[in-house]
Amino acid sequence: MADEEKLKGLGPNDKGTGADAWDATQWHVVVKGDTLSKISKKYYGDPNLYMKIFEANRDILKNPDLIKIGQKLRIP
Amino acid sequence: MMKSKRILVTLLCVVVGLALVACAGNKNAASTAIKAAEDAFNAVKGEAMKYVPDKVKAIEDSIKAAKDTFDKGNYDAALSAAKAIPDKVKELSAAAAAKKAELVKGWEEMSGGMPKMLDAVKSRLDILSQSKKLPAGLDKAKLDGAKSGYETAAKMWEDAKAAFAGGNMADAMAKATTVKEKTVEVMKTLGMQVPAAATATKG
Repeated sequence: MADEEKLKGLGPNDKGTGADAWDATQWHVVVKGDTLSKISKKYYGDPNLYMKIFEANRDILKNPDLIKIGQKLRIP
Repeated sequence: MMKSKRILVTLLCVVVGLALVACAGNKNAASTAIKAAEDAFNAVKGEAMKYVPDKVKAIEDSIKAAKDTFDKGNYDAALSAAKAIPDKVKELSAAAAAKKAELVKGWEEMSGGMPKMLDAVKSRLDILSQSKKLPAGLDKAKLDGAKSGYETAAKMWEDAKAAFAGGNMADAMAKATTVKEKTVEVMKTLGMQVPAAATATKG
């Protein structure tokens, strides 16, 4: 519930009109205590799939062990 | 006495003759008006049947009524009825054009958005298929249902595109709307965020 609330208003997903309103990109905002493994477990059920998230965010992540609070990650 | 009788008969003949000429004139005018109404209707019928088929029958009924009236010899009434039809045909044509524009606009939005939704779902399904466990709220049965739903939606999307390419916009939009609803359902099953445009009430 808290995560869903956080995700509301993120990016283009909550805009009601225009091409961006159709943007289906899935997002996660990094909070304290998050790791890519934890995020992977949350969305995929399997922490070992964290590299999928890392690969999808290579433009902002240089190291899968280094993520920052407030970072907005794409979840493929 | 004989002379006045002859004048009266002559006058009578003239009156009857004039009446016959007038009657023939109305008959020709009514016939021409009916033909013009039919021609006008036939020119727009194809487009109207595609976009506003429910409005076509009213015009067909009007033309038939004018013809029936004509066949009964009531030429004035047939003329009057036929003269009113071209305006109705103009309204029909305008309604068809408006509906076509609405469908094209809806399709442009859908065709920009649906591939993004389908791609996002496919990506998630591909990853979940590799997962050794499933996330909270998702079990194997739900995942299988989501996969099946995605496949149905993806195939129907191809059908919708084919319908649009074939000029059948109403069918294309009907299919696209079903695809959207199905895809939204799958996204919710997978716990994904649904794009705002896909949850708007308008199809």
